Amino acid sequence: MSTRQPLLEVEDLTTTFSTDNGELTAVDGVDFSVDEGETVCIVGESGSGKTVATESVTRIVKEPPGRVRGSVRFKSRDLLEMSEPELREIRGYEIAHIFQNPQEAMNHCYTVGWQIVEALQIHRDVSDEEARAKAIDLMDKVGIANASSRFDDYPHEFSGGQKQRVMIAMALVGDPDLLIADEPTTALDVTVQAQILRLLDDLQEEFDMGILFVTHDLGVVAEIADRIVVMYAGKVMERGDVLDIFERPAHPYTQQLLNCLPEIGGKKGGIPGTLPDPLDPPDGCRFAPRCEHAVDACVTGDQPEEIEVNPGQRASCVHYRPGRDDSVVRDGIPDSTADGEEVSSADD
Amino acid sequence: MATKKPEQFDRVDWSELSESRRFDLSINSIGMLVATLPLALLWLYDYQFVGEREATFQAIGLSRNLDPLDYFFVFTLFLFFFYLILPLYQNPRMTRYYWKEFRRNRPAVVSLGWLGIVFVGGLIGPLLISAPEQSILTGHQPPVFLSIDEANVANCVGEVVNGRCQGTWQHPLGTTRGGKDVFAGIVYGMTISMQIAFITTTIVAAIGITFGTVSAYAGGWVDEVMMRFVDIILSFPTFLMFLLILYIYGAGLGMFILVFSAFAWGGTARYVRSKSLSVSEEEFIKATRISGASTYRVVRKHVVPNVASSIITQLTLLIPGFLLAEAQLAFLGIGDSAVPSWGQLISAGRSDLAFAPWIVLSPGIVLFLTILAFNFIGDALLDALNPEAEAESA
Amino acid sequence: MGFGKYVGARVLWAVVVSLIITTITFLLLAAAPNPAIREAATQAALQGGDPSAAVERERELRGLNQPLYVRYMDFIRSIYTLDWGWSESRSQPVTEALLQALYYTAQYSIPWTVLTITLGPLVGVYSAANMYSWRDHVATGFAFFGYAIPNFFFGIILLLIFGVWFEVVPISYDTSAPVFSLQNVRQLILPVFVLVTGSIGATMRVSRNESAEFQNSDFMKTAKAKGVSPLRAYAYHVMRPTMVPLSTTLVGQLLALFIGSSLLVEVVFGIPGLGRLTFNALISQDTNLVLGSTLVFTFIAVVGNLLEDLVFTVLDPRINYDDR
Repeated sequence: MSTRQPLLEVEDLTTTFSTDNGELTAVDGVDFSVDEGETVCIVGESGSGKTVATESVTRIVKEPPGRVRGSVRFKSRDLLEMSEPELREIRGYEIAHIFQNPQEAMNHCYTVGWQIVEALQIHRDVSDEEARAKAIDLMDKVGIANASSRFDDYPHEFSGGQKQRVMIAMALVGDPDLLIADEPTTALDVTVQAQILRLLDDLQEEFDMGILFVTHDLGVVAEIADRIVVMYAGKVMERGDVLDIFERPAHPYTQQLLNCLPEIGGKKGGIPGTLPDPLDPPDGCRFAPRCEHAVDACVTGDQPEEIEVNPGQRASCVHYRPGRDDSVVRDGIPDSTADGEEVSSADD
Repeated sequence: MATKKPEQFDRVDWSELSESRRFDLSINSIGMLVATLPLALLWLYDYQFVGEREATFQAIGLSRNLDPLDYFFVFTLFLFFFYLILPLYQNPRMTRYYWKEFRRNRPAVVSLGWLGIVFVGGLIGPLLISAPEQSILTGHQPPVFLSIDEANVANCVGEVVNGRCQGTWQHPLGTTRGGKDVFAGIVYGMTISMQIAFITTTIVAAIGITFGTVSAYAGGWVDEVMMRFVDIILSFPTFLMFLLILYIYGAGLGMFILVFSAFAWGGTARYVRSKSLSVSEEEFIKATRISGASTYRVVRKHVVPNVASSIITQLTLLIPGFLLAEAQLAFLGIGDSAVPSWGQLISAGRSDLAFAPWIVLSPGIVLFLTILAFNFIGDALLDALNPEAEAESA
Repeated sequence: MGFGKYVGARVLWAVVVSLIITTITFLLLAAAPNPAIREAATQAALQGGDPSAAVERERELRGLNQPLYVRYMDFIRSIYTLDWGWSESRSQPVTEALLQALYYTAQYSIPWTVLTITLGPLVGVYSAANMYSWRDHVATGFAFFGYAIPNFFFGIILLLIFGVWFEVVPISYDTSAPVFSLQNVRQLILPVFVLVTGSIGATMRVSRNESAEFQNSDFMKTAKAKGVSPLRAYAYHVMRPTMVPLSTTLVGQLLALFIGSSLLVEVVFGIPGLGRLTFNALISQDTNLVLGSTLVFTFIAVVGNLLEDLVFTVLDPRINYDDR
């Protein structure tokens, strides 16, 4: 998996928004990378900054009030150094996005065909017929029946799942190397979700793209991810291969998240407490106020540095600091082995 | 991001649901009755015992006469007080919320102040200031601090300096060609404007709400026919129709108000209808229905309060149109020339514009400011009712 | 129901509405005392004749002694045959007088409408794109100024400033000026400006508020993610959906202003157009001409509303013809 070339390398990404009540830091010094042909999932509760992080990659966050800092190297070019026109050549052509709500993400005034070919017509000099043929081919590939006759239909004539398929076709029209999918299945019902995930999996192989996948749903993660980045309140809590993290979640937050998965039979009702105020984040570990293992060292200084807990798996938790007894948190893993296997079998 | 405000802060009080008697009168209705009764008696007295050409209060030595329009105006003022001002006082929490939202919009607060001046001026002004009277000798007097070439005035009230007649406080805004005091004219015009504003909105609201709810609750073909009728009303060229009526029958201010409000309620009716349809789908209305409330009660207690704020906004935005139409007709000189409105003053000064611009400018600016004020307030109300718009500003 | 059927239904409805309005006009006029008859009676009395006989003669001459429904049928027939009678005040057929007036009205109405329809949404969307900046405040201020200032008052003031004081525009309208000439531009610039100021405000406000919603929409984000430039995104993804709600208000507002203000503006600037014609017909009690111009205005209003409906259905692909 990791023998491939890195496609996207994000370092120290910080996105802030100026609001009436002061500066809001949505993403706070986050690192992650996506290799060619690999699927990386960013996982976290809503409001953890994962969407903003992915939208900062191609700087489609609104600027101002937003402001993106750090470095985003894509095929060894820094996207954050690029001018708007240069970025526009990347967007939709090399890096494509699909969004959570296909209903809202399409313009209701234009036919789906028009919207699919729009990116093509901006980026490449193609004739209408070529563009149309390509779009119909893609609509066919994403599984829309009678693609050629549906080309001229309007979004409201499609069902939710079909709309998301159209969105995927729209994203693929420029043959992107990286697909950023922001909760693409959340607004869909469960059976359609599975179909869309399978479709993405197939298309990834066919188009040989890296996928940066954002979700709060660990069930989805298990099905699609190669690697996971767990985010909480704008910071990375833990990262590693999907198998490692499902089997041996190291960070208390990841453990709690996994606990909430119904298949693991964990406690119901989610993690007690709420996300900290992004305008005034707590000292120390962001998760400390909700963490059952919090000690004094957790609430002072900055977010703890990431420490390798297993090969290829890192967690940002003081308990793994050298000289500390990490059994407190290592033992907090609930029924890990039995269900971990079940989960791992779901992920091929 | 901004915290989401409740979508309908004017939603009815749940405790009202527990009231089950049908004919219990609120303090507002009692107040309304108590206030209307003497008015009705006075009208009856006026109608029965006072001669056609006699002033209403001649018996006690006042020369002020009341015509039917005045009675209706006072009646709408009572309505305004007991069903709009008093409820604001009775619900201090809601009022504070409204005020907090409203205060954010500074032009609207200034506008409210201006409309307050026009309102009070229109109510009390005519009692304090005598009506502008014709006096040819003191025509074209300049406003205070300004002057005019002596040749243009027959008789300068103030001093004459270097051949120029100076303005005086006797006529703070100068006089017209006929010597009518412009300031007094503007104050009397305030009364007219307020009468137009209050009476038309009352009529429009009454017809619009009734028509809309009846249409919504009748449903079926009745609803269909009623809404087609609204379509016709809405596509009626009102201004032209009024010209026609004016041409055929001649028309005073009363007819103006009647015709214009009779063609202006279409939008309100449409809105009330769609709102009642959606309100009656809501759970709490269903609950009330099941507990045996009558349609009238549902409308009165639930539909009207729920649409009240939107209707008030709509009406606020309708008023400027009426004021403008009246001014236009008066300007054309085909309105009732006995009505001392702002438009009348503007048209009176038009021919003297080059050397006595105050005759046109003063009432014109007052009219402009009043229309502007209604628009600002309507806009502020729209914003206050639409939390979305303001969330975007965060 | 398909689009064609829907259009058919709307057109039919427009015909029904205009029929109803003209009927009401007819009934109003039929119920009113006819000034020409009163005139005949007065004349007869003055010349020592029998007033009631003169009235009878006059009524017969004008066909007023026939039953109402016969007159109504005649009236309707004459509307469709464009036989609108003789204008006594202008000594020419009513249709001819109306056509002449329409010629002058069109000269300022067309630029006015075009400017409002093009500039209004542009400035509105621009204002929304720069929401709460000074540019937005200036545009908003102008919009409020525009629809609060009475057109006729604004016209008088501008005429005073630019016509009387600075003498850059003529004070009186010259009908002999060729349509496409500098002279015509100079004499029409103020009326067009006054009307545009009055009508553009509402258009700007509606497009500003509607497009504010669209520019923060998810599909704008999609467009941005596709690499669409901001200019193209505004032109296609914001402007287009904004036109849908705008189309429902635009025509109505233009029409209201047209019928109300064109008269005033024509009176102020001395343009011998439809408004002035109607006004003069009213003053000189020329019944046929009054009726004729009422018909023209009604027709314009009905056609305008019809257009508005059709434009709306064309613009919004989501519309369901069965619902309306």
